[in-house]
Amino acid sequence: MQRGLDSRLKVSFCGIELNSPVILLSGCVGFGEEYTRIKGFSNRDAGAICLKGTTGTARLGNPSHRLAEASSGIINAIGLQNPGVEAVIDDILPTLDFTETRFFANVSGSTVEEYIDVVRRFDDSSVHAIEINISCPNVKEGGAAFGNDPDMSARVVGACRAVTGKPIITKLSPNQTDIAESARRCIEAGTNGLAVINTLMGMAVDARSQVPIIGSVQGGLSGPAIKPIALLKVYEVYQVAKEHNIPIIGQGGIASASDAVEFLLVGAATVGVGTALFYDPMICKQINSGLVEYMDSMGIESIAALTGTLKLSGSVSGCDDRP
Amino acid sequence: MAHLKHPDSRSTIHMEDSIVISHHHYDDRQHVLRLHCPQCASHAVHGQFVHLQCDRSLLLRRPFSIMRARPDEGWIDLLYKEVGQGTMLLAKQAEGSVLNLLGSIGNPFILHEDKPIRILIGGGVGIPPMIFVAETIRQQYPSDTDMTYAFMGSEISFPFTVLNSELPVPGVTAHHAIEDMENISIPSRLASLRYLTGCYRGHVTELAEKFLQTLSPERLQIAEIFSCGPRPMLYATKRLAMKYNIDCQISMEEYMACATGGCAGCNVKITGPDGPAMKRVCVDGPVFDASLVEL
Ligand SMILES: Cc1cc2nc3c(=O)[nH]c(=O)nc-3n(C[C@H](O)[C@H](O)[C@H](O)COP(=O)(O)OP(=O)(O)OC[C@H]3O[C@@H](n4cnc5c(N)ncnc54)[C@H](O)[C@@H]3O)c2cc1C
Ligand SMILES: Cc1cc2nc3c(=O)[nH]c(=O)nc-3n(C[C@H](O)[C@H](O)[C@H](O)COP(=O)(O)O)c2cc1C
Ligand code: FES
Repeated sequence: MQRGLDSRLKVSFCGIELNSPVILLSGCVGFGEEYTRIKGFSNRDAGAICLKGTTGTARLGNPSHRLAEASSGIINAIGLQNPGVEAVIDDILPTLDFTETRFFANVSGSTVEEYIDVVRRFDDSSVHAIEINISCPNVKEGGAAFGNDPDMSARVVGACRAVTGKPIITKLSPNQTDIAESARRCIEAGTNGLAVINTLMGMAVDARSQVPIIGSVQGGLSGPAIKPIALLKVYEVYQVAKEHNIPIIGQGGIASASDAVEFLLVGAATVGVGTALFYDPMICKQINSGLVEYMDSMGIESIAALTGTLKLSGSVSGCDDRP
Repeated sequence: MAHLKHPDSRSTIHMEDSIVISHHHYDDRQHVLRLHCPQCASHAVHGQFVHLQCDRSLLLRRPFSIMRARPDEGWIDLLYKEVGQGTMLLAKQAEGSVLNLLGSIGNPFILHEDKPIRILIGGGVGIPPMIFVAETIRQQYPSDTDMTYAFMGSEISFPFTVLNSELPVPGVTAHHAIEDMENISIPSRLASLRYLTGCYRGHVTELAEKFLQTLSPERLQIAEIFSCGPRPMLYATKRLAMKYNIDCQISMEEYMACATGGCAGCNVKITGPDGPAMKRVCVDGPVFDASLVEL
């Protein structure tokens, strides 16, 4: 039988107990069961799993190609293909084994009304939390169009807050001028947690055939290429979030335990893994054991103690003058 | 909740450190790679593929059809052509190299009992799954002769031993065949737009049609096409199947990230009785009913 995870990996996130700080990210693991096809992979190794972005009605998503490899990253333009909230709740959630891990819904919409509708339906479902994706770069309406505007972000979050008692995690876009301001507005509007960051907008061109590789021309860049940006965004958001005790799922290019530690140090309470799974489906196990080794070697009692403990030497000039 | 039954799909794909047993290099940057991967080899069926780490420097794995599997000896063969960075790096892997793979993945071609005349149409790097199908047919129906015919097209040299065929194919005068097919008594013929001795000069679908024209209406009714190759060839194959009103299964290609059904990156449009739907090539395919696929 399976051995449990080291108890020092346990974290509390938005009031939910997680067995590991490692969360499998939305859009990379389908609706929770896909990776269990691989022998040796277990959902128990993940603290939580974010399900694929879900909208009010079914969406077919974008035309092919939906993927392009970039240097140390990939560009995707899936376009929120999903069967619609009703099918997710009626047909998919009942098949998930909630004894293995926690499941978070991930919600998108073209209008504020659609966000409200989907969140309201998930409120009456078995998911542990609801992640609001206001940062999807791959749809024409809603998505990042909301997330890049702090007023609009706050409106969406506030509207969702009004219709659910479940924890809300707001997923922020890096494609905006002031992510910390956006985070502040979302916190004021009632979010319980923040996910930082979603993909960065990007493009790939085939020089030989002189066409864009991605069918819908542009897509979202993820993977190690975005890690330095993601670290900074988590650091910036943490300066605001810590004052309100709002936890962050740090994400963007995490592919090892040491990457995970870096995100925890700059302020993340938990860490998300997406793109790294494509190369190494067992990455979650690796990160868990790497984190335990790190705690052993550093004499740390619990992973939660690492959050925001980055050592800054002396005055940090020209870096951040926010309160 | 306590008695929740997990889906049957669990633990069907194996992750293995495969070892390069041999790597043969052919003209026009084509290679045959033999990998020792006992778990994958013992589960592999015709039409499935592996998702292979070609080199540690790459973020994504690459999908390749399984051409042949020997469970008793624990190996699989892949045939691939260098087209970009991943396959170029793969070509450099020497005997003894360790390449992590996921396999075997996907739904196989279905051999219908009521369609015993099987016509295989393969093009370029779509030939490998056709070899696997042919070998499976021979294994499952050892005494069926004059029932399975293979037509292979390529615009570069064939990475196989080619010989003069002793097995006739009605309607076809070109006489060169693939030795591996000949050895299992499956008549095969080759097509190319280039002038290659013993090959039909033209498209592989035209070559296959020469044969189809010789079949009686009764025999056409019990025939089925199996195909893999570049999109234009699949399109022509689908039209050929429609023209002769015969069933047709095709294996599709699309860019892949996860190959486990998780990312929805590899979807193609399928139009079934319930209207259009997006299906994942990796786990819903790669084999689809040609009449449902938008090509
Ligand atoms: C189910 C399946 C079976 C396949 N079987 C074979 C086979 O038996 N032999 C063979 O030679 N090739 C096969 N291919 C195609 C093979 O996967 C590509 O040629 C290979 O991925 C190209 O990688 P690259 O880095 O050399 O090319 P690049 O063009 O540099 O690749 C860039 C990116 O695009 C992807 N890509 C490019 N072309 C294709 C393609 N045709 N299909 C899928 N992804 C692509 C790559 O995986 C990579 O992520 C198969 C593809 C699929 C989907
Ligand atoms: C193929 C793919 C699909 C994605 N789909 C979604 C989605 O539906 N909803 C969402 O909030 N984020 C989605 N994302 C973003 C990821 O959840 C994650 O935030 C991002 O990829 C950064 O993490 P990574 O570098 O570890 O992948 C997707 C990412 C990828 C690669
Ligand atoms: S490659 Fe990810 S769903 Fe097929």
